[in-house]
Amino acid sequence: MFTALLVALVIGGLIIFLVQRRKNQVLKTEDGWWGAGAPPEGEEDLTIRSFKVTTTDEELEDLYRRMDQTRPVPSLEDSQFHYGFNSHYLQKVVSYWRKDFDWRRQVDKLNQYPHFKTNIEGIDVHYVHVKPKTVPEGTKAIPLIMVHGWPGSFYEFYGLIPMLTEPSDPGQLVFEVVCPSIPGYGFSEAPRKKGFDSVCAARIFHKLMKRLGFQQFYAHGGDWGWLVTTNMAQLAPKTVKGLHVNFAPPSKPGLLVTLSIVLGRRFPKLFGFTETDVERLYPCMEKLVLESMKESGYMHIQATKPDTAGRGLNDSPVGLAAYILEKFSTWTDHDFRNLEDGGLTRKFSLDDLLTNVMIYWTSGCIVSSMRFYKENFGKGLDAPHAKIPVFVPTGFACFPNELMHTPKLWVKQKYHNLVSFSPMQRGGHFAAMEEPRLMAEDIQQFTRSVEEMMKKKKE
Amino acid sequence: MQRLQLLKDTFFGLDVAQQQLIIGCAVAAAAAGGILTYAMQRSSKMRSIPLGEGWWGAGEKPLLEDQKIYPFTVETSDEEIEDLHERIDKTRFTDPLEDSGFQYGFNSTYLKKVISYWRNTFDWKKQVAMLNKYPHFKTKIEGLDVHFIHVRPLQSGDQRALPLMLVHGWPGSFYEFYKILPLLTQNHNGFAFEVVIPSIPGYGFSEAPHKKGFNSLAAARIFLTLMERLGFSQFYLQGGDWGSLITTNMAQMRPDCVKGLHLNMCMSNRGFKVLLSIIIGPYLPFLVGFSQEDVRRLFPFFQKNVWQMLEESGYLHIQATKPDTAGRGLNDSPVGLAAYILEKFSSWTHMKNRDLEDGGLERKFSLDDLLTNVMIYWTTGSIISSMRFYKENFSSNPNNRIDAKTGIFVPTGLAAFPQEILHCPKSWAQIRYQNIVSYTFMPRGGHFPALEEPRLLANDVIQFAKAIENL
Repeated sequence: MFTALLVALVIGGLIIFLVQRRKNQVLKTEDGWWGAGAPPEGEEDLTIRSFKVTTTDEELEDLYRRMDQTRPVPSLEDSQFHYGFNSHYLQKVVSYWRKDFDWRRQVDKLNQYPHFKTNIEGIDVHYVHVKPKTVPEGTKAIPLIMVHGWPGSFYEFYGLIPMLTEPSDPGQLVFEVVCPSIPGYGFSEAPRKKGFDSVCAARIFHKLMKRLGFQQFYAHGGDWGWLVTTNMAQLAPKTVKGLHVNFAPPSKPGLLVTLSIVLGRRFPKLFGFTETDVERLYPCMEKLVLESMKESGYMHIQATKPDTAGRGLNDSPVGLAAYILEKFSTWTDHDFRNLEDGGLTRKFSLDDLLTNVMIYWTSGCIVSSMRFYKENFGKGLDAPHAKIPVFVPTGFACFPNELMHTPKLWVKQKYHNLVSFSPMQRGGHFAAMEEPRLMAEDIQQFTRSVEEMMKKKKE
Repeated sequence: MQRLQLLKDTFFGLDVAQQQLIIGCAVAAAAAGGILTYAMQRSSKMRSIPLGEGWWGAGEKPLLEDQKIYPFTVETSDEEIEDLHERIDKTRFTDPLEDSGFQYGFNSTYLKKVISYWRNTFDWKKQVAMLNKYPHFKTKIEGLDVHFIHVRPLQSGDQRALPLMLVHGWPGSFYEFYKILPLLTQNHNGFAFEVVIPSIPGYGFSEAPHKKGFNSLAAARIFLTLMERLGFSQFYLQGGDWGSLITTNMAQMRPDCVKGLHLNMCMSNRGFKVLLSIIIGPYLPFLVGFSQEDVRRLFPFFQKNVWQMLEESGYLHIQATKPDTAGRGLNDSPVGLAAYILEKFSSWTHMKNRDLEDGGLERKFSLDDLLTNVMIYWTTGSIISSMRFYKENFSSNPNNRIDAKTGIFVPTGLAAFPQEILHCPKSWAQIRYQNIVSYTFMPRGGHFPALEEPRLLANDVIQFAKAIENL
């Protein structure tokens, strides 16, 4: 009996020791080259060029002609958004797009912030760089990189940027914001070689921030942006001062997560589950499994056949709008599927939604944006970054209608230095665009907490 | 004998409590076994499924329905062709990743070649004339115009005409059967087939349902009504892909009408027996009813069945959940539609085609045939309604639907093609198909055998019918 206990302790100790060893693991990566053909001889081009979004009469005429020639198919009677984007409402959206939406005015709006391009690892990376106009005495602006996801873009942050660079309240922190486009999205060039995954994007964004002269910075992301910024924190933990995310699906459910799913309903306190947690997780078959199955068809086809999936969408602006805006409807609130109009304009303006769609349309990037899914999921869920935790101070904003609800316990499995976990009052998957003020407030409080922690450490 | 004596001694050597425990366990086990066997038997005791009813037209159902059969001709116009050409000319290509073959989907470089052929060489008017060489018809059933072709055998005289319905799948059409048709309508030792090939409602020239809920059971009932309207009381059925499920449902609804059911794709049940055979099969195949060929086609199981299925079923997942979104762009972009449809004709004909720069498309098919099939989807604008069929059939758990729990008792013939997406061994098929008359390991061919290996498929159908007719 005693021997058995001793053996168990030794084995237990060994396991803990091995696990501890992993604590010091930093995500490793190598340089890549994503341009056409072989990398050229000679020095890398490090210049940063100014960039302006432009449009032409031809571009608009071509768009209008395609809209006029669309071949609509009526939705089934009484089907709302259950079969996808409702055709009747789609006609209304397209009609607005054709007659009232002013792309030239939106282009001016896009250009209100300075855009740039710079060549990294063979591709032109686009970003918006907004410096604050004034900074309080004796302080410096806090550098912050914000990374978008799919089917979003840098434009999702346009409502949020002024709240961070010119906060109304004098007591709030002032940020200097960089919003890049992931390579293959919008105005960033698409990689030409296979294998461009989130770790490559993270590495490229590190190079970008370095090129801009930032030694340390904060990072914020949702959707793919969550994974790219997480990888950035894993690649160079000393460079990323703080990581703020609004989306954190567990990549590999470990024993604790599984146990909490099985027992969490009966013993919520045991796992730190709040009432909200229980409400959003159970019945778990329906809320976790079935809901995911219903909404992940796009992910499945994009992770396997992106070139096929995107092909038609690059010719049909109406098809592209339906594909993208369906997500802005359903991922903002699942109940919107029961509405004839998908509830789209309840939280967003058509101008903002269509501007985002136009970024995909005018750059023709839908296929390359979809390839990111295959590159990240193609080899299964066993990537090295999935096995390494995050030690950088992290803040998690938990929005009630996010696609996948993650209780604090789950987030902590991966993010070992969770500084703040904020249940938000309202908002869904596109929180930055839907509830910019709530997001700004959370970024403010998180950054303040980390800055104070750093100050205390120095003293 | 000695062992028995030993057992007896041991048993009587125990005390009473222990003896009772052992007897109790034995009785419980026997009872459990008995209940299990009975339950399993019961599920396959159901010999047919109810017909049900439905109406799929727009708005309210009228009092009387027109039951006449009208001749139909496929038509085209200069405007239609010009519009197609204009859209092709305006397509916006995206370069493929270097060295990616067909791994990311339809390769754009090869797509350009296909499109160039389509734009400059493909002659749609000629193809339409070719489509019309067989007589087409339409008739209204359950509120929808159902399209079909009806071909009588070549010679008359004293040969017997066996009625046969062929049902297509996705992304195919009635056109897939044009090569096999002449082989079936020929005289074979005194009989020939009289062939009916419908289009599933929502596909091609058949009207799309306007109401929710149109699944394979509804399609089966509509096709049974069609055969009845054509005056056939007994007939054969052949199908693959969705056609396999629909013809199976037809055989389950009216087993008295179906003389023989021939399938080139069969969905196997999940279930304990299947699971056991997957585990034991590679090592002791004969124990679980596997032949060497079964083992060769099934294993390594995870790689061939699970991994490969995941890689190839993205379209199924999105079409079963958001068909209106998935098809929207494809109805405006003929190039997108061609890529989407032809990718299946590549991968599902042979999985290795995914590594080829040209997807191996033209090794087994002609571009004319492939593009004619695509044109049927394009000119009818039926891509979205064709995708909805997936959602309607997967809306509830398919394993709980009545047809999944009912056996099939009509004489069945299975043609197992080596490159079919999922191999179904005879032992698995026998779980539900209780009357398998023939099971043939075909030497070559994939998911579209009617178009790819028409002679092989025709021969198997003929030998199957001969066996049933006792010729």
